Amino acid sequence: MSSDFYTTSILPYAGIIIKICRAYTDTQEDFEDYYQEVCLQIWKSRNSFQGKSEWSTWVYRLSLNVSMTLQKKKKKVNHDVSINDLPAELIEDSEQHSDDSLKQLYVAIKQLSEIDRGVILLYLEEKTYQEIADITGSNPNNIGVRIKRIKERLKKLLDGKIN
Amino acid sequence: MEKSIETIWKEGFLNKNELLAPKVNDLYNKKSIHIIEKFENMFRMNIWGIVVVSTVLLVLGIFNGALIAGLIMWVMFLYVAYTAHHELKALEKVDKGQSSYLFLKSFKAWIDNSIDRYGKMYRVVYPVFVLTFYIGMWFSDSFADVRQQVGNSSDMVFGLHLHITLFVIAVATLLSIFSKAIHRLDVKSLYGGIINKLDIALAEMEELRG
Repeated sequence: MSSDFYTTSILPYAGIIIKICRAYTDTQEDFEDYYQEVCLQIWKSRNSFQGKSEWSTWVYRLSLNVSMTLQKKKKKVNHDVSINDLPAELIEDSEQHSDDSLKQLYVAIKQLSEIDRGVILLYLEEKTYQEIADITGSNPNNIGVRIKRIKERLKKLLDGKIN
Repeated sequence: MEKSIETIWKEGFLNKNELLAPKVNDLYNKKSIHIIEKFENMFRMNIWGIVVVSTVLLVLGIFNGALIAGLIMWVMFLYVAYTAHHELKALEKVDKGQSSYLFLKSFKAWIDNSIDRYGKMYRVVYPVFVLTFYIGMWFSDSFADVRQQVGNSSDMVFGLHLHITLFVIAVATLLSIFSKAIHRLDVKSLYGGIINKLDIALAEMEELRG
């Protein structure tokens, strides 16, 4: 990968990639691996970008697709456990964040299914329902309901921690 | 919960340290392998495995007086390897920039098509392999003593022992009939975890699509 391509086509969107990779990994090492893998896949797939969507949208898609399909050995986490029951490695990971609330939010997001994680990340990045549907390949009419459900679940998870 | 998740998200990323990109270097040497690349690597290894095993069989055939059987198996397995090479090329073309649903769907479709095509091919490959191997072995130099021992028996057809031949034909027929199921089991044992994960993700996406 040329450093020019990285500087001009990836680095400006590093924030998007970082946020997504953080949501799909449990340790700093995994996070760095995912980040590098996403960058590598963006570079390798750059010729298939046809300009039908924004470059940032395409980066979102690729980051999500790569993150969802990366195979990592990680402990199975029961989706219904409270944050207090989380394994130590997840709590340790969240120490990477300086903001305590953001740390808790990330831990809660990691309790969601892979698809729900992608949907809520796009929502938090202020993507419209139509954009979320385009990126994930779903129906925009169902996105609103899904987001409502995910937010309720996140709220419960976060309240569990605070209480 | 005092703050909304939207506020937590926005305020959390006001701190620039949260968005510090890790250094990108030595990318190709990183251990992290994309699932498709993992498939590609396994496929590539399988192809080479087929080429090596078929060549070993050919060499064994040459040295044991079973040249024709060795050649038949060698050509057949080279064809299998050639087909696998084409499957690999198709996998490399899966577009990672399409929507998540289409991407996962394309990947799943590739796996399903591959299982289907191989299942059909093995319908012929399994029985031909079993029969060629049996006939090749039977008429090879290594089996000269066995041939001599049963040679006087009345249960002989074209120089082959009738009951053993019938048994081998039955095995070959069963392998042909159940080739798809056998291949599916084989794939499941190798890629079961990944396929299950894909199925779960796709089911969720289908639900989202409504």
